[in-house]
Amino acid sequence: MSLEIDHVTKRFGTTVALDGLAFEVARGEVFGFLGANGAGKTTTMRICLGIIRADAGAIRWDGRPTEDVPRRTWGYLPEERGLYPRMGVLDQLVYYGSLYGMAPDAARRDALAWLTRFRIPEYADRRAEELSKGNQQKVQFIAAVLHDPEVLLMDEPFTGLDPVNLVLLREAFTELRDRGRTLIFSTHQMEAAEALCESVAIVDHGRLVAGGRVRDLKRASGRRTLRLAGDGELGADWLSDLPGVVGLRPDHGGFALELLPGADSAVILAAVLDHGASVTRFEVVEPTLEALFIEHVGRPSDEGSTLAPELAQPSLSTGGAI
Amino acid sequence: MARHDPLLPNAGIVARREYRDRTRSPLFLASTVLLAILAMIVAVAPIGIRYLDRQTVTRIAVVSSDPELAQRSVDIAENLLNVPPGGVADPQWKRPYAVEVASDSESAAALLRAGAIGGILVVDRLATGQVSVALRTFEGASSARSQILGVAAFGIGVLDWHARLPPGQTVPFVPASFTVESMNIATDGGRPLDAQEAASRGFLGIIFVVLLFITIVIYGMWVATGVAAEKSSRVMELMISAASPRQMLAGKVVGIGAAGLTQYVAIALPALILIMFQDRIAEAILGPDWASGAPLVGLTPNLLLGYGVFFMLGFTLFALIYAAMGSFVSRPDDLQTLSLPLSLVAMVGYLTAIVALGGGGGAWVTVASFLPPFSPFVMLARIMVSAVEPWQVLLSIVLLVVAIAVTAVVATRMYAAGVLLYGTRPGLRAFVAAARKA
Repeated sequence: MSLEIDHVTKRFGTTVALDGLAFEVARGEVFGFLGANGAGKTTTMRICLGIIRADAGAIRWDGRPTEDVPRRTWGYLPEERGLYPRMGVLDQLVYYGSLYGMAPDAARRDALAWLTRFRIPEYADRRAEELSKGNQQKVQFIAAVLHDPEVLLMDEPFTGLDPVNLVLLREAFTELRDRGRTLIFSTHQMEAAEALCESVAIVDHGRLVAGGRVRDLKRASGRRTLRLAGDGELGADWLSDLPGVVGLRPDHGGFALELLPGADSAVILAAVLDHGASVTRFEVVEPTLEALFIEHVGRPSDEGSTLAPELAQPSLSTGGAI
Repeated sequence: MARHDPLLPNAGIVARREYRDRTRSPLFLASTVLLAILAMIVAVAPIGIRYLDRQTVTRIAVVSSDPELAQRSVDIAENLLNVPPGGVADPQWKRPYAVEVASDSESAAALLRAGAIGGILVVDRLATGQVSVALRTFEGASSARSQILGVAAFGIGVLDWHARLPPGQTVPFVPASFTVESMNIATDGGRPLDAQEAASRGFLGIIFVVLLFITIVIYGMWVATGVAAEKSSRVMELMISAASPRQMLAGKVVGIGAAGLTQYVAIALPALILIMFQDRIAEAILGPDWASGAPLVGLTPNLLLGYGVFFMLGFTLFALIYAAMGSFVSRPDDLQTLSLPLSLVAMVGYLTAIVALGGGGGAWVTVASFLPPFSPFVMLARIMVSAVEPWQVLLSIVLLVVAIAVTAVVATRMYAAGVLLYGTRPGLRAFVAAARKA
């Protein structure tokens, strides 16, 4: 019982959006779909939904090609947010629910329950254009989950949410997972992905570069992170030159050093003490998801996001982005 | 599209939302009320014109040194200018022209300058015996009144010659009768229409064709802007996962078409009621001597049905193309430019129909009355003013339905590709590529 992305290829003109992409998502899992902009995440989701067709390969849910899977199996939160500006929030949610086959009364009842849960029941009768961006995003999330889909595909669900709403959304994720729903989302917020995902797929230029359970990926990497803090002589210049250190970033008043597999932390500690620094923290931990991402993709997760949103859409004449 | 969803119920749900969205907007309400008032004014306009006509009598003064010649000129001009409607004399009918002998040339000239009379007919006998007739007027020589008076001058000459023949050689003068026999008389259920009805049909035809053109272009643009707005507000992103392009397109065309039809009925119904009761209204305003026929006697249920059918089919055909166009723009601003060619196509149909209403156009009118997308306009015009065989109307409708079916397939493909197309200016290549690839 899973979602299989089976060697899917998609081209837009001369641009290859997906290049034999293959991975699997188990049912009832929260799955992170990670990659820089243009890596092929939105295209993959659109093929899942049947909005566009793959040139080669197939996507299957429970062994059935997605063409044969009912539309209401899927819930979709697109990256580009949009609601009917002049339509009431509740009317709008009932409308989407009806399109997915819900009875209007049930849609109304469930929509009100979700609005209450997201602490915006007072906006039920307001026009969408009167809501803040964050609240519009919550309404759009409700539109995606209202019909209780088996698989929820979300493109950047956390963008634009304040910390309180982030927590509300994460709680909703957890609850949906506990009810057996499958959640797949793309994000550039690695902390969120790290906190929520059991498995991830890291894609680059339409190809899978790493995938599987987060724990296994971290172990397989062999890399570790050394979290170091102290008084006095700790300096980024000489710390990054120490043997086995391949990366360094500020971390809670000290530094987080990315270590190569096999690097000896005792040698580093000795070098730090030799520099006359007094150490208040010395902790060797598994690499973060962000470190894994950088290791596989070779650049920070949000690099490449400088394109205007409209250029980041498929386009027949330019080949478009993906 | 990979997935084949049934059209219903989603197309119905989309249509309902579109219908409500349009009909509940204050702009819709305001424009409907305004247009309904305008339509009612147009409906009673013929009565108003008649009322004004009844009040106005144009005076023509005849100046002549020969009193007998002057009286003869008055008689002839009176007869030629005061032709009763329908060619039938009626005791209640009021003559629009009063032709009278003026006391002298100066006072007549003063009256003409003051605007009290429409013209002076100066009739003199020259030394050669020839009668000279001059019309002094502020109108040009080519005006209808001048031309009728030109004919009157000829008549005065004939009668004068006749009167001066030696006694015993004269016979009473009998004017020739004159009627126009049109070879292309409109029929209603096989019954030829009389001149009054045919004239009404021409007037109604113009109203119907203008209405058809305006509604198709305006409601078509509603569809296009609706699609473009969904795209620019990015609602489309949510919609494309909830409904198939076929469902969305059908829902949009049906919903907006229904909203258009609602507005059309709201505008046309009060006007139609006024037209139906125009006899009584006219009688109330003009008095019981209102007898010479209502101006819109040609309006029948069959014609209304014909208008309804050609409106629905014409709108559907154009709306599908407008929707496909709307899906290709990223901003509603670009729509005006893109929709211009389509509005021009509608304009060709409209102008051809206007030519057909005037009885012109020849073979092109016949061809265009079968050829979508011109046929809704042109066949409607032909039905209004000329005899059209039932099979011709049926063939025109069948061809229109076929064109709609083909357009629906192509438009759905273009729409499916177009709604995902951002950031590029639409061109012919993009259209063709979309229709082929999607």
